[in-house]
Amino acid sequence: MDIVVRAAIAFWFIYFLTRIVGRRELSAVGPFDLIMLIVLGDLVQQGVTQSDYSVTGLVLAAGTIAILQVGVSYANFRFKWLRPVLEGEPIVLVDDGRVLERNLARERLTLAELEEQARLSQIGSLDDVRWAVLEAGGQISFIPKQ
Amino acid sequence: MADQPDGIVLGRHRDLEGRRWHPWLRRALLGLVGVVLALALVDVFGQGASTKRAEAGAATLSVTAPDAVRGGLLFQVRVTTEVHTELKDATLVLNQAWLNGLTLNTIEPSPRNEASRDGRVAFELGHLPAGSKHVLYLEYQVNPTTVGSRTLRLELQDRETPVTTLDRTLRIFP
Repeated sequence: MDIVVRAAIAFWFIYFLTRIVGRRELSAVGPFDLIMLIVLGDLVQQGVTQSDYSVTGLVLAAGTIAILQVGVSYANFRFKWLRPVLEGEPIVLVDDGRVLERNLARERLTLAELEEQARLSQIGSLDDVRWAVLEAGGQISFIPKQ
Repeated sequence: MADQPDGIVLGRHRDLEGRRWHPWLRRALLGLVGVVLALALVDVFGQGASTKRAEAGAATLSVTAPDAVRGGLLFQVRVTTEVHTELKDATLVLNQAWLNGLTLNTIEPSPRNEASRDGRVAFELGHLPAGSKHVLYLEYQVNPTTVGSRTLRLELQDRETPVTTLDRTLRIFP
């Protein structure tokens, strides 16, 4: 029983952390972030299964996380009012070539990072951007001027 | 062509109407995580050791052990008996809380004998002359499923006559 409870606590704690650290951290997956992901995974595993090496333990822990993931996904789909809490909301960063500094600061994004993302989207200048939106998942989408 | 992309509400997503307090909530929750970490730094969740003593005419008993531990952790308990007047057959009697949900890996030095006394565990140390000092090391590991708080009671006896008793609390975090 305890392994189900521990897996559920681990799931909700990681979910809680991903919601409060902000999208800036989530969208960037550099070499350091990749290593941190692996380290975090290892830490979570130790807390969830501890010294349980059984297949039953694996089934219980993985099953709990899968059920909770589907539950969150369904709640997100079914209840519109829950979406800002569970998933977050988009935020406009550029409006008709004008960078919204306040919105950038809110997500701890620098202008250089925004320009880098624009270049990765084959956009040479933010002046050519009609809309840039930081999506709930952490990616930045660019809609060029017509 | 619509002015803004589908799904974007300018008031909420550009001008942040009704969302200005969100970063403060995020910071407050992050601060809460920070508080937990700060509590860990001041040893609330274990496993720094502290010493408790019980004085009696015949002997002084002291136990050095953590006040808090976490599931799976190894920890050490050190029981020191300072003898003032000779103990002919010194025995340490531990209540069940010393062993329920904990694995006692080793005891050094090994007691002369071990016995059960009404469900409690007795370690017979034998003859301890006046002025001597006996240190018993107990090496533990917390069973991963054990949680909660408990009172550890340790009694020093001489031929089943109580000499002194010492209580301490152990908190076990999951």
